[in-house]
Amino acid sequence: MTTLRVALLHLRIGVLNDLQYRVNFALQVLQSILAVTVGLIVFQLVFSHTTELNGWSHSELLAILGVQAVMAGVVHAVIQPNMMRLSEEVQDGKLDHALTKPVDAQMLISVRQVQLWQAVDIPIGAVIIGFALARLGGNVGVLDALAFAIALAFGAVLLYCFWLVLATGSFWVIRMWFLPELFEGIFQTGRFPIGIYPDWLRFGITFLVPIAFAITVPAEAVTSRLDWQTLLFAGLFTVAAFSFSRWFWRFGLRHYTGASA
Amino acid sequence: MSATPSSEKLGKVGRLRSLADFYVTTMRTEIQTQFQYRAATYMYLLGMVAEPVIYLVVWSTIADSSGGEVNGLTAGDFAAYYIVWTLVRTMNIVFTPYGWEWRIRNGELSGQLLRPLHPIHYDVAQFAGGKIPWLFYYLPIAIVLTLVFDPTFDVRPAEIAVFAIAIWGAYLIRTFNQTALGLVCFWTTRVGALFSLYIVLELLLSGRLVPLTLMPDWVQTLAWFLPFRWTFYFPIETLVGDLTNAELLAGLGMQLFWTLAGIAVFALVWRFAIRRYTAVGN
Amino acid sequence: MSDQAVHVDGLLKIFDVPERDEGLKAATKSLVRRKTREVRAVDGISFDITPGEIVGFLGPNGAGKTTTLKMLSGLLYVSGGEARVLGHVPSKRERDFLRRIALVMGNRNQLQWDLPALDSFELNRAIYQIPRADFLALRDELIELLEIGDLVRKPVRQLSLGERMKVEIVGSLLHRPAVLFLDEPTIGLDVTMQKRIREFVAEYRRRHEATVMLTSHYMADVEALCERVIVIHHGKILFDGDLTALASTVAAWKTIAVVLENGAGDLSAYGEVIHRDGDLVTLRVAKADTARVTARLLAEQDVLDLNVEDPPIEDVIELVFAREAVE
Repeated sequence: MTTLRVALLHLRIGVLNDLQYRVNFALQVLQSILAVTVGLIVFQLVFSHTTELNGWSHSELLAILGVQAVMAGVVHAVIQPNMMRLSEEVQDGKLDHALTKPVDAQMLISVRQVQLWQAVDIPIGAVIIGFALARLGGNVGVLDALAFAIALAFGAVLLYCFWLVLATGSFWVIRMWFLPELFEGIFQTGRFPIGIYPDWLRFGITFLVPIAFAITVPAEAVTSRLDWQTLLFAGLFTVAAFSFSRWFWRFGLRHYTGASA
Repeated sequence: MSATPSSEKLGKVGRLRSLADFYVTTMRTEIQTQFQYRAATYMYLLGMVAEPVIYLVVWSTIADSSGGEVNGLTAGDFAAYYIVWTLVRTMNIVFTPYGWEWRIRNGELSGQLLRPLHPIHYDVAQFAGGKIPWLFYYLPIAIVLTLVFDPTFDVRPAEIAVFAIAIWGAYLIRTFNQTALGLVCFWTTRVGALFSLYIVLELLLSGRLVPLTLMPDWVQTLAWFLPFRWTFYFPIETLVGDLTNAELLAGLGMQLFWTLAGIAVFALVWRFAIRRYTAVGN
Repeated sequence: MSDQAVHVDGLLKIFDVPERDEGLKAATKSLVRRKTREVRAVDGISFDITPGEIVGFLGPNGAGKTTTLKMLSGLLYVSGGEARVLGHVPSKRERDFLRRIALVMGNRNQLQWDLPALDSFELNRAIYQIPRADFLALRDELIELLEIGDLVRKPVRQLSLGERMKVEIVGSLLHRPAVLFLDEPTIGLDVTMQKRIREFVAEYRRRHEATVMLTSHYMADVEALCERVIVIHHGKILFDGDLTALASTVAAWKTIAVVLENGAGDLSAYGEVIHRDGDLVTLRVAKADTARVTARLLAEQDVLDLNVEDPPIEDVIELVFAREAVE
């Protein structure tokens, strides 16, 4: 598939580029550790006043924090750079370069940009998850591990679809500079079990911004509290979201190319 | 050679009046500029509000499941704290060190250095002007939050008056702190690390993360000796807490102290920063 | 000496440029010990400009023109020598100094991006503490002079490059500076716009008796505006004098860049072949001969493309060198 090969070529160039900036790596590690430290301190404070939060223990909450870190890494390293670049190119009129290439435009604009060092969050998150599991008494069953991997995949795809829909909005509403901040704010809700939030907010961060599917569901999987119906539903929702986002992308593209005639 | 009309030397009063004129004009210009970014600013503010709402919900949940209160704070108290937090936050968002990095790199600083007015005046005036439309954008958010989270408020007129001043105190302290940090950009491009550390300290020591009374005692003691407390906790406390008039005034005094300290540090570092910049330029 | 608008004596600007070889080993080493190289951007230049003069600073890219202007406007610290503008030492950046100068840089934006230029002008009024009556009078005069009445009401971001340059220049003159530094003001603009800006600067200077220092690598800028030209290269002044002297040298010839079907032939009959790159040949011909040679080329050779150009500034400087050597 030439599309895939072209995409991977872009990715490789991006990675090689980032590899030059070793200092950025150290900086990123520092920032990630600081962010995690703050999260841990919050948990410490919370659990100095209670033993469980919405049915989740301290260790289980650590698992949520770890999953959130992993997802943050995925978003900041791969998803966000591409979507923000898309938004900027729509504004500058430079998107035409991508559209005239003989490959699927959506694939191209989704994988060509990377912020390699942001991916540091992924191993850090993995470490936290491991630590949490250790405190919970160790063993994760094969089924749980599988469910976890699948749930993570669903979550990543859903976050991608979400960002794609927002970035596609640039075709109509040009300036999207506030997106990273807005997303960060809402993304932080995923640090805690979504059950604590009022209904309307819980609905929002399940179906509008896929926080629940991206963070809570994988966390439930790895802490053995996930039921297969939820996972199935997550899968169906992912398929629906992907179809919708692709349709919306093409809709936006038609609008863009029609308008720039 | 023709005489420039503006080259008459202005006396002290004239100079002050011109400065005031500059502030008013800059603030007015900023309001006009901000007006064009209504939608985007709203989105930004909504993202900002997410942070306290999360903490609000978490602590209210804990309070409800722990017999109604945590360290004497009920869910209603937490709601009040974090809602006032959002207003204080709206006011204390200032020009960040990243802004300095950008400004140095793209040559905007050179343009500012050509002017007969210290660039800091522009920053202070510009952001101050921006606060005015922001306050208007903020009002509906505050109303919605109040309706949803049902805060308990018990305010005296004196507290409101002090609050109105304290939010500007918070603005100034944070402005000069972050500007001083921003000056580090004149020596290195890696100011991000330092700034991240600063933010972490601020999160923990200012009441931005949780009301300071929930932090361990040693943290609370430490917070008294640092400026962070006066950028979040004190302004919030004036409305939400039960401070006596003496304590309110003392708090304003501390804000004044930290503002002046910030100005002093900034003024000192600025001379070195400019010397370094004009050695290389852009 | 104190009544000179600009006084420069032995001005020096030395940069320490970090140097690094390629490769991983060199990169690691550079983390520990930085190797620097000394670059003399301005290497001991001296000149005086009397009030009301308009002087062109001509030289190729990297010659030291912009560096000199930045030193004269206080943006760069002087490494050695002396510089005085209107009696002030620029690097002190005194308020009274800054209120009497203006520096306009070709592709830099100092106006508010999202607002109409008029609002930025108002801001400048406040920054420079211009009395309102004077401000309004000068503002309207300049707007009319440059014919930007309809442009000043549009947000600056909606203006084209040339239009933006126009409003930028007006914005920078509102405080009626006595000394105007223009750094590559016509760069990137089309020919009509270049003319417009030059005419405007000339008229402003005439009306307000300002001193103007203009840098450019376009000979046309200098020819149109300046009586006196200073040629600078590698940080040193090569020529300081009457423009006509320089112009007559330059005006003497032109270059013809021609792409032939087969560029290997002998073209010396047409003119001096100064460059050959495959089928692209560059000829130097006397100005008077240009039309004749062009016609002959088109008639006698298989010409795919042809361009007649003014000689590049580097060649002018070469000739200046040669001329100085002879005289």
